[in-house]
Amino acid sequence: MAKQREYCDVAVIGGGAAGLTAAIYCGRARLKTVLFEKALPGGLATYTSEIENYPGFPEAIPGTALMKLFEKQAKRFGVEFKLTAVKQADLTGGEKVISTFRTDYVAKAVIVASGGKPRLTGAIGEESFLYDKGISFCATCDAAYYTGKKVLVVGSGDAAIEEAMFLTKFADKVQVSVIHDRGIVDANEVAKEHAFANPKLEFIWNTVVDEFRGGERLQQVVLKNIKTGELSPVDVDGCFLFIGYLPDTDLFKGQVEMDGRGYIPTDDNMATNLPGVFAVGDVRVKGLRQVATAVGDGAVGGVAAERYLAEKAYFDEQIMGGSCPTVVYCWNPTDPVCRSLMSDVEKLKEKYREQVKVVNVDMYKAGSLAARLGIQQAPALALVSDRAVAYRALECTDVRAIEAELAKMIG
Amino acid sequence: MAEFSLDALGEACPIPLLKVQKKWPDLKGGDVLIIHIDHSCALKNIPEWARKEGHNVEVEEVEDGVWDIYIEKTA
Repeated sequence: MAKQREYCDVAVIGGGAAGLTAAIYCGRARLKTVLFEKALPGGLATYTSEIENYPGFPEAIPGTALMKLFEKQAKRFGVEFKLTAVKQADLTGGEKVISTFRTDYVAKAVIVASGGKPRLTGAIGEESFLYDKGISFCATCDAAYYTGKKVLVVGSGDAAIEEAMFLTKFADKVQVSVIHDRGIVDANEVAKEHAFANPKLEFIWNTVVDEFRGGERLQQVVLKNIKTGELSPVDVDGCFLFIGYLPDTDLFKGQVEMDGRGYIPTDDNMATNLPGVFAVGDVRVKGLRQVATAVGDGAVGGVAAERYLAEKAYFDEQIMGGSCPTVVYCWNPTDPVCRSLMSDVEKLKEKYREQVKVVNVDMYKAGSLAARLGIQQAPALALVSDRAVAYRALECTDVRAIEAELAKMIG
Repeated sequence: MAEFSLDALGEACPIPLLKVQKKWPDLKGGDVLIIHIDHSCALKNIPEWARKEGHNVEVEEVEDGVWDIYIEKTA
């Protein structure tokens, strides 16, 4: 089967709240936008039964329902959805290539919104019971299956406690393994209060998972007391792990800069170390990972990608793509020196008329455009010929040097 | 390369995945299994399982809330 090749303006990797928002902004800017999601659009939010703190929904809304609205909105703006895993991503060049098992997508800009994946305990036997053999990461998905049964929840953060409470509506008994001392959980105060008052919840303090046991399906979880080392087997029908997330960034290792844990640092505009590659949402180095903050990231990243593409097109066509030599004047309109030099540039333009093209770059508005020419400080002049910078006059006070170069060039 | 299809419409998790796992030994390398589902939870665990086993997965949204999952068995 030969690989197909498709072209787009922006590729968004990941269909959670951040990725969908970035896609909405790109789609609305009329960019050809393709969004890649390996499972259900909506991301981590779809694993939450009720979202209570996303503004605009005064009554709590199920995670799946909220994300369905995001998806609908993205589709309205013409975003193309590819529900498949990205197998490989080459992000270093000017053309970025995103490969799925059937198709190579060539994109001008990429927004990484790959979020995280659930952390595992690493306990003995864990691998054997993943994926519907007893270990689950999604109470919303699997709770009904455990109606009248007995389950163990591992963890004590917001997700663990809130989902444990949700599970008590179905399961007969819900036990919670917490690593901390008696009475200490990482969840918010409201959840904590409700949880401690819930008679169906039983906490097992100072414990971590030592081993998962069973036949075809999970039957027993062996907990280890971290203080005494004592092992205690707990018979269960299922076990839910809520012990945090790890960034899903293996695909981008060695290309995109990451911190020690694999999260991607960005600047205020969601730009990564690679030109044309942006990162938004949970995958980014940031303080608070919520739907509300993911949406903010997505909006900023989407607009940044749009600006990057507009600037790149201007640079390629207007500055580098002239059929005759191009003089680029990088100036700052508020600077008197720059303003007086402008009249010299105008005279140069008059003098050489048909033989030269003159482009002015306002450093205040488009500093990054000048940076592409290797110019950081106004006033400065650059001479471009045959798609390359032939000469630079930095910190210049007149146009003599550039005129001499130009004269040589056009003979 | 044969193509098989499974109807799991109207079925909740984990039934669709169990159906796939039951059917799986009948497939040879290169064969494709198409599962029709309308419960979004199966869109998480079926691709997750199949990818972990090393197979290729692609999903198509047939209409709003109805999906076909394509799994290609690697040799």
